Amino acid sequence: MAKKTEDVRRKLAITAKKLRIKAAELAVTAREKENVRRKLVVTAAKLHRKAKELAVTAREKEDVRRKLVVTAKKLKVSRETLEKKILERTKDLDQSRVKCEAILASIGDGIVVADKEGKITYVNKTFEDMVGWKTKNVLGKYMVEVVPREDEKGEVVLLKERILSQVLSGERVIADVTQPFYYIRKNKSRFPASSIVTPILLSGEIIGIVETFRDITKEKNIDKAKTEFVSLASHQLRTPLTSIRWALASLKRDRLPDEQNYVVSGAHEAAAQMAATINKMLMISRIEMGGIDQKRTHVSLQTVIGKVVRLFDGDRERHALELAVECPRQLRARVDEQLLIEILSNLLNNAYNYTPKGGKVTIRAAQEDEMIRIDVTDTGYGIPQAEQGRIAEKFFRASNVASREEAGTGIGLYMVYNIARLIGGTISFVSEENKGTTFTLLFPS
Amino acid sequence: MRIEHKHVLIAEDDKFLAGVVGKFLSAQGLQVTIAHDGREAVEIMEKTLPHLLLLDILLPVLDGHGVLKILQGKKIDCPVIVMSNLSDKLVQKKCKDMQVKAYFVKSDLDEATLLPAIKKFLR
Repeated sequence: MAKKTEDVRRKLAITAKKLRIKAAELAVTAREKENVRRKLVVTAAKLHRKAKELAVTAREKEDVRRKLVVTAKKLKVSRETLEKKILERTKDLDQSRVKCEAILASIGDGIVVADKEGKITYVNKTFEDMVGWKTKNVLGKYMVEVVPREDEKGEVVLLKERILSQVLSGERVIADVTQPFYYIRKNKSRFPASSIVTPILLSGEIIGIVETFRDITKEKNIDKAKTEFVSLASHQLRTPLTSIRWALASLKRDRLPDEQNYVVSGAHEAAAQMAATINKMLMISRIEMGGIDQKRTHVSLQTVIGKVVRLFDGDRERHALELAVECPRQLRARVDEQLLIEILSNLLNNAYNYTPKGGKVTIRAAQEDEMIRIDVTDTGYGIPQAEQGRIAEKFFRASNVASREEAGTGIGLYMVYNIARLIGGTISFVSEENKGTTFTLLFPS
Repeated sequence: MRIEHKHVLIAEDDKFLAGVVGKFLSAQGLQVTIAHDGREAVEIMEKTLPHLLLLDILLPVLDGHGVLKILQGKKIDCPVIVMSNLSDKLVQKKCKDMQVKAYFVKSDLDEATLLPAIKKFLR
């Protein structure tokens, strides 16, 4: 019995052992499975996230696709609009190009456009007609090669160096009737021309030049005719006047009775006045035609003023006027002496003529910076306030003196203003009726 | 300088003016001859060399420039004063280049200016 029991117990022990081993094995397996499960959970979570992400991406891609479709549609519309607009603009451009060409072709002046190197990029029809060169022969060439510029004597003017460089520095260069030059045609003949050369600016930068020029043969001929007429007319006026002056002078010499001498002297003075007027008119004609060549020399102002004063000493004595001259001895200027004498003569003569007997005239000269200032002051009749604006007009005479016996033509001051401008100066005045007048000449020394 | 009996030739086609100027110069003691055109003036110059020539520019037959050219060509050495109503600077320059001593615009000229000039340049 005991043995049986022992056997049972042994068997039970073995079984228990086996069971323990099995339990241990199961525990390991369970741990492993738990590990696998955990990993599976992590993987599942990852997959879940990925799935979510993919869903988002898909949605986004769908959005993009939709947007692309919309954009494509829009682009198609834009392209169509653009094409339409381009067509319209091309038509506009064509129209304005045709218009411009028609305008340029219809202009009576020759037009030539060049780039900033001076090479021709355009010429108009008038250019072709005037100089005989066709557009296709001149494009890309220098203006100076195609149409040489000459002066009066036939010497070539270096346009490229002189005018072009001036224009390319931004200046507008004008050559008018008073400074003519000649252009030489394809057939080597030439014509007098005047021209305006203007820079073409794009946002302040010079990109080229435009020159317009015209044939001034007709103007030159008219100018010549006018000069000839004026010199002929003045000669024809002077000839009888000379005889009158000498005849009257010869009568004066014969010691006439007082009454006759008075008449003859008056006539003699009037003839002298007329001779002076003819000279003034000639001078004006020359100034207006730009025909005065200035001869600038260094002159002493004291010497020039002295000469002018002596010219009118007779008048000063006759009018019983006092004269004062204030001029520093060393004062000098570089100026055309004859023109300066002409200005001062007129101012002094006016001061003498329009100042009542016993009055005083003062000539004051001084340096003012780069300028010379000469004041001619009188204690005369003055210029009425209301008429002061008209004083520089040709043939204008102030009402308070026109009625007096003093002779005057109204061209003296017109001439003075013009000559002053010629020498680079200005004339100004202050005047008060019955107190006097100061005329001021200001010119570069 | 004493001017009495000095000989002045006036070449001037305006007979009246030539007469008046001539009368004035005679009154100063000068001996005056008058030529009414350029050729006549040259002929007189060749025959009797005057002490001074008062020359107009616009003269018939031969003008003042022509007279000056002939005098220069024939080396006739006589001081010349031009009296002309041409005031053109170019004409004046042309005359000065031809040894003219003085140039006067006639209508601006009076006795008081002419006489000293004649005295100054008389040969």
